[in-house]
Amino acid sequence: MTTTADNAPGAARHGRVGMRGIVKRHGSLTVLHGIDLDIEPGEFFALLGPSGSGKTTTLRILAGLEPLNEGRVMLDGQDVTQREPGERDVAMVFQSYALYPHMTVYDNIAFPLRMVATPKSDVDRAVRDAAALVHIDRLLDRRPGQLSGGQQQRCALARAIVRKPRLFLLDEPLSNLDAKLRLETRVELRKLQRTLGVTTVYVTHDQEEAMTIADRVAVFMEGRIAQVGRPLDIFARPASTVVAGFLGSPPMNLLPAVVRDGVVRVSGVDVSIGRPAGADGPVTLGVRPSALRIADAGIPARVYLVEDLGDSTIVDLDVAGQIVKLRTDQRVGVREGDSVHVAFAGDAAHLFDGATGLRRSG
Amino acid sequence: MSTRRLRTVLLVGMAAVLLAVWAFPVLWALLTSFKSERDVLAYPPGLIFEPTLRNYRDVMFGPSSLLPNLWSSTVVAGASTLLTLLFAVPAAYALARLQFPGRRASGFYVLATQMLPPVGLIIPYYLVLQKVGGLDTYAGLVVIYLTFSLPFAIWLMVSYFEDVPQEMEEAALLDRAGRMRALWYVILPQVRGGIAVTTIFVFLNAWNEFLFAVVLGGNRVRPVTVAMFNFISVEQTLWAKLAAGAMLAMAPVIVLGLLAQRHIVKGLTVGAVKGGGRR
Amino acid sequence: MKPTSGARGERRFALLLFAPAFCALVLTTTVPLVYLVWTSLMRVDLSMPWLRGFAGVDNYVKMGVDPRFWNSLWLTLVYTTSTVALQVVVGLSLALLVLRIPRGQAALRIAAILPIVLAPVVVGLFWRTLVLSPDVGLVDVVTRALGFGSHNWLGDPQLALISVIAIHTWQWTPFAFLVLLASLSALPPDVFEAARIDRAGAWQRFRHITLPLIRPAIVIVVIMRTMIALSAFAAIFAATGGGPGTATEILNLYAYRTSFSELNLGYGASLAVVLLAITLGVSLVMFGVRRAR
Repeated sequence: MTTTADNAPGAARHGRVGMRGIVKRHGSLTVLHGIDLDIEPGEFFALLGPSGSGKTTTLRILAGLEPLNEGRVMLDGQDVTQREPGERDVAMVFQSYALYPHMTVYDNIAFPLRMVATPKSDVDRAVRDAAALVHIDRLLDRRPGQLSGGQQQRCALARAIVRKPRLFLLDEPLSNLDAKLRLETRVELRKLQRTLGVTTVYVTHDQEEAMTIADRVAVFMEGRIAQVGRPLDIFARPASTVVAGFLGSPPMNLLPAVVRDGVVRVSGVDVSIGRPAGADGPVTLGVRPSALRIADAGIPARVYLVEDLGDSTIVDLDVAGQIVKLRTDQRVGVREGDSVHVAFAGDAAHLFDGATGLRRSG
Repeated sequence: MSTRRLRTVLLVGMAAVLLAVWAFPVLWALLTSFKSERDVLAYPPGLIFEPTLRNYRDVMFGPSSLLPNLWSSTVVAGASTLLTLLFAVPAAYALARLQFPGRRASGFYVLATQMLPPVGLIIPYYLVLQKVGGLDTYAGLVVIYLTFSLPFAIWLMVSYFEDVPQEMEEAALLDRAGRMRALWYVILPQVRGGIAVTTIFVFLNAWNEFLFAVVLGGNRVRPVTVAMFNFISVEQTLWAKLAAGAMLAMAPVIVLGLLAQRHIVKGLTVGAVKGGGRR
Repeated sequence: MKPTSGARGERRFALLLFAPAFCALVLTTTVPLVYLVWTSLMRVDLSMPWLRGFAGVDNYVKMGVDPRFWNSLWLTLVYTTSTVALQVVVGLSLALLVLRIPRGQAALRIAAILPIVLAPVVVGLFWRTLVLSPDVGLVDVVTRALGFGSHNWLGDPQLALISVIAIHTWQWTPFAFLVLLASLSALPPDVFEAARIDRAGAWQRFRHITLPLIRPAIVIVVIMRTMIALSAFAAIFAATGGGPGTATEILNLYAYRTSFSELNLGYGASLAVVLLAITLGVSLVMFGVRRAR
């Protein structure tokens, strides 16, 4: 059993992932348009995106469960594109857990070890250690059908970690759990990964999950990677309107605007963003709900709906026909139908090109 | 409330009548098998009579004993069931889960072979078996029985295999089991119920087969169905004996049917939903 | 698609698994089929062996003017359509009935299983002796008690056809019953509640909701039972042998008798080929209809 020192993050020596130019087609439909990814050993890497964005397909290609049309998959510098799933030293936790219902928990966890003729004593030790790590060591005699959802998930985890693979793949492992359990398990997963130091690729559609749990995130949109980076970096500087509109709760407000004479003009009002706006032309202005405030001067708006959530308030505002959301901790003194102005700090503004949606420098 | 009651009574009454229509002939035969021949011909036929085991004794130990026929049936039905499963289960898995060239066409082919009327096949079978000396042999009959049991068994098993979640196989592959071991250790245990149902149906069909047995069998290989048929010509009006013989000949399938009724009902509906099937 | 070594391995594995069954099927169905068609083009008469030789389409031409053939065709049509229609109607009615009586279902299920597991030949024998015999048979007892008198159920040409239809229907209606019952039980109850609230009466609910929803099941039952009815042999053979005369001689039996009683294998083969063609044709039509829906 390796010690935690050996498995400290960064100390991992293997589990480097490289994906180059991955294209996948399904008949006439292109599912992945050329995916390039580099994942460092020991990293907890999230693939984030809405359903159908290609993140699960990418994961399955990494596992070897799906063939690809073009591109290469590299593990630790070796081209494994042609290799069978069992030959890649990769473990996976499926969304449905895919536990073997006719075997006990013990046998489920032992299965991958038995398949490579591991000596019995080693099997027993490894199974018990893995089970202890995920706290199911007392459930070894049960069958999956007798376990709760959370216990099943941990059994699937144990089965994955028992053989100490160089890569963990997790396909939306928390989506079948109820909200409270999801939050608890999220933390446990993160701690487990830190302990084991295994490179982990984690697929999710929940952006809050990805933001809190991952070292780096790749945002998938319609079969392409829209942005890769650390969660905070992506959050602070989304690379495009698409990414910006996906992150945050509620997501960033995106308003059509125009730059004229170097000044940003929204809804007929000039706004200051505290930095050069760049060339004239149509743009999209992005401001987070938490950065907006109701002021005496600014962009004219009409209050459409006030949602009091107890510890915060969300105000839906009608700005020239578009609904803009504002979020604040303080009490707001407005009511539906009121005409108000909204303002924001210049550095809280994001500017995106009106045509491409890409971030303008700044 | 009374119209409701009346309707319930009417419904129960009709159901009882229909139940009688189906259960009664078999029960009547059972009853008859314990009568003496004289009681059988009595009119009106009575429910009260002096039961006798003579018919069963005759049918089991008499000169026209059915025991060798029961043995024939057991061997033929058992062997053909085993053979069928051996071929059908792997083939069904391949059709259900694996990619190979001609998979679609093969699926249609299997379906099409179920459409062949047996009468069309016995003529060539008879001629061929005659040439190779396979008439009246166990081997010949068992192989020929594959004709109708194989397509049916494949089609039934395909639907059971399709119900196994694909992720289970993928998990086993990732666990380095390889395809053969994934099939053996993970998939097959999942379809145990399906295999049981298929076995029951294949055995039933084989046991009850008549046309192939009568044309391609002979004096040595004579299943109970053929023996029963011969009864009618030989034992013209010994109906009590006939009833006893029929009970004996059908005892295994009746017992099987009663014990496995849930399985059978499930199998019928599964087979019906997926299309095809002999029964 | 860039195949992994896995894809090639999968193909090999799949073919390994499928090949034995495929070979067995080809051997037991396709090869005999070819041989059958070949035989139908020959003059093979075991009672006159010196006549053996190639006959071309002679057998088929002969069929065209053979009244016994047309008779058997007609009987096949009547037999098949009657029994399938009856099976569906009775099976459906019984299923609808049983739906309301949850407690009787177990008993009815056993009663339904019994006819299905019996060998058709034994069923034919049962009916011939214990049920349809003049004077002593079950049916005769009932008709005499009800004042309809005694009849020769299997000896009278018209009654014989009705009798064999009754036998087949008796044995296989439970199948339709069980399948339709399962289908009916699986219907979502809230659709009916909605209909009730919309003030639809029992018959309207049946016609506009139940029937369309179970149509796929009915179609499957019709297809399967038709295939079986076309190839039904043992029960009729045991009950009447095709008689009296040719009153119950469906095409199936005619082919058999020609081949094995009259030993005219060539002509028998051609009859069998025609039956096969009819079966395939009917199944294509039925599957086409099913897909169209």
